[in-house]
Amino acid sequence: MFSIARSELTQIFRNRAVLITSLIMPVAAAAFFIRFRETFGQIGSLGYVGAVIVFTIAAFSLYATTVTTLAARRQDLFLKRLRSTAASDASILTGLVLPVTVISAVQVGVILGVFAVLSDGPADVPLLVLGVVATFVMMLALGLATAGITNSPEHAQVTSLPLSLGVVAVTSWVGITGTQDLTLLKRLLPGGAATELIVNAWNGGAPLGDSLVLLAPTLAWVVVAVALALRMFRWEPRH
Amino acid sequence: MTTTPAIDIDRLNITYGDFHAVKNLSFQVEQGELYALLGTNGAGKTSTLEVVEGHRKASSGTVRVLGKSPGDRRAVRPRMGIMLQESGFSPDLTVAESIRLIGRLSGRTDSERRVLGVVDLTGKADTRVSQLSGGEKRRLDFATAVYGRPELIFLDEPTTGLDIQSRDALWDAVEQLRHDGSTVVLTTHYLEEAQQRADRIGLMHRGTFRHEGTVAELTRTLPAAIQFSLPPGAPAPLVQAGPGPDGSYLIETFELQSDLKQLLDWAHAHEVELLGLSAAPTRLDDVFRAIDAEPVPAAPAA
Repeated sequence: MFSIARSELTQIFRNRAVLITSLIMPVAAAAFFIRFRETFGQIGSLGYVGAVIVFTIAAFSLYATTVTTLAARRQDLFLKRLRSTAASDASILTGLVLPVTVISAVQVGVILGVFAVLSDGPADVPLLVLGVVATFVMMLALGLATAGITNSPEHAQVTSLPLSLGVVAVTSWVGITGTQDLTLLKRLLPGGAATELIVNAWNGGAPLGDSLVLLAPTLAWVVVAVALALRMFRWEPRH
Repeated sequence: MTTTPAIDIDRLNITYGDFHAVKNLSFQVEQGELYALLGTNGAGKTSTLEVVEGHRKASSGTVRVLGKSPGDRRAVRPRMGIMLQESGFSPDLTVAESIRLIGRLSGRTDSERRVLGVVDLTGKADTRVSQLSGGEKRRLDFATAVYGRPELIFLDEPTTGLDIQSRDALWDAVEQLRHDGSTVVLTTHYLEEAQQRADRIGLMHRGTFRHEGTVAELTRTLPAAIQFSLPPGAPAPLVQAGPGPDGSYLIETFELQSDLKQLLDWAHAHEVELLGLSAAPTRLDDVFRAIDAEPVPAAPAA
């Protein structure tokens, strides 16, 4: 698993296109949100800024990169090659997504850390971590599922767009307008409940019980995403 | 003591939707053997190989590899090396990195330098796979298959795109492995390779074996050929068939030696020069060409 992860890291760093569009661009976007945090804080809240940073990185650094690299590895028959060895499917997949997951986690950690220093830090760190982890697992599994319908790394730019833009849009909608109206819809959309959870964790003030209720739809999305990944992921190109 | 066969396939069926790619196929590959699985395009050999390698599930039937299920990667894969038909390496990794990664994942141990030496890629160790020629990629693939000298090796069209020197070097390496006791399963489009190297051949056509046996057994089913033409004014020879449109004679025979002697005796007696004389046993190519002309045999009772 770790030898696969190491080779995957090498491949990501040697492929400049992936590096720039998937890893550097989200950091630039996050820096933009932090630079104009006061404006965004007035539009929504500082918690919204935190949530949109988490989802930008989860949607682009994590999700889009996962779709792109898995599609590339399958197109090159690298996945089939790995499956010709003694490694199990689980360790192959874990090894493949481990580097991009770690990179994304470090990005979120560092950027939220900087944001915390510049603003009033998160009110509830454990709840924030829980929200980030749930978001990451959901986006990773959705990445595996999307990779299943993606034929090439170029195709990934099309197939990954609806969900990556979609969840960031949901985050902004929920983060800016709150969940007083259309509560059920907002919470059931992918990323909706997770956004509210992260906003609450950052701003504080919401009773813990209310926040924990938000975990249900968040975890339901994790389950749906994993189920989709198991159904849709493919190891070999279609002939 | 009877040894377990390296590969044991019993009534294998593979279907894709309505298409029955492999039908009731049964065969065994003994340990230490070089077995060539040959066939026309779409005969089902790749599907069969994929099931044996553990890349695909059989629709029905049993397949044992080294006495185990091919799906049991942890048990089977460290003992077998696979050379895929299409290499499957990441273009962004170097030759050495690719060998190190796949070698380690195989569960076997070997020295990277030794393996690079076997395929003459030592000078390319730090070259990215994307920079390799087609032939070099085939050699890299072969290198990962023989990493750690596995006891069972699959070579799926191993010499496609290789120049003569590389081809000879590859077969030398295979001979060495066989000398050390490895079993080899081969598919190839170069029939002379199979004819020279294989102990036994399974010839597939439309999902079943049309022939199976040693090269001698296979070629024995078809007649040998004597060909010649006559100078103008020569007397007609004592053969049933007349000359073809180009004036040459073709005699097909199961008794090459005696028929050839008869012809030469006749030519000697009449002082006739046989132009362009050739006499050859049946080649595997001819067995192949004959496949489509043969009636389809009745399916064996299941």
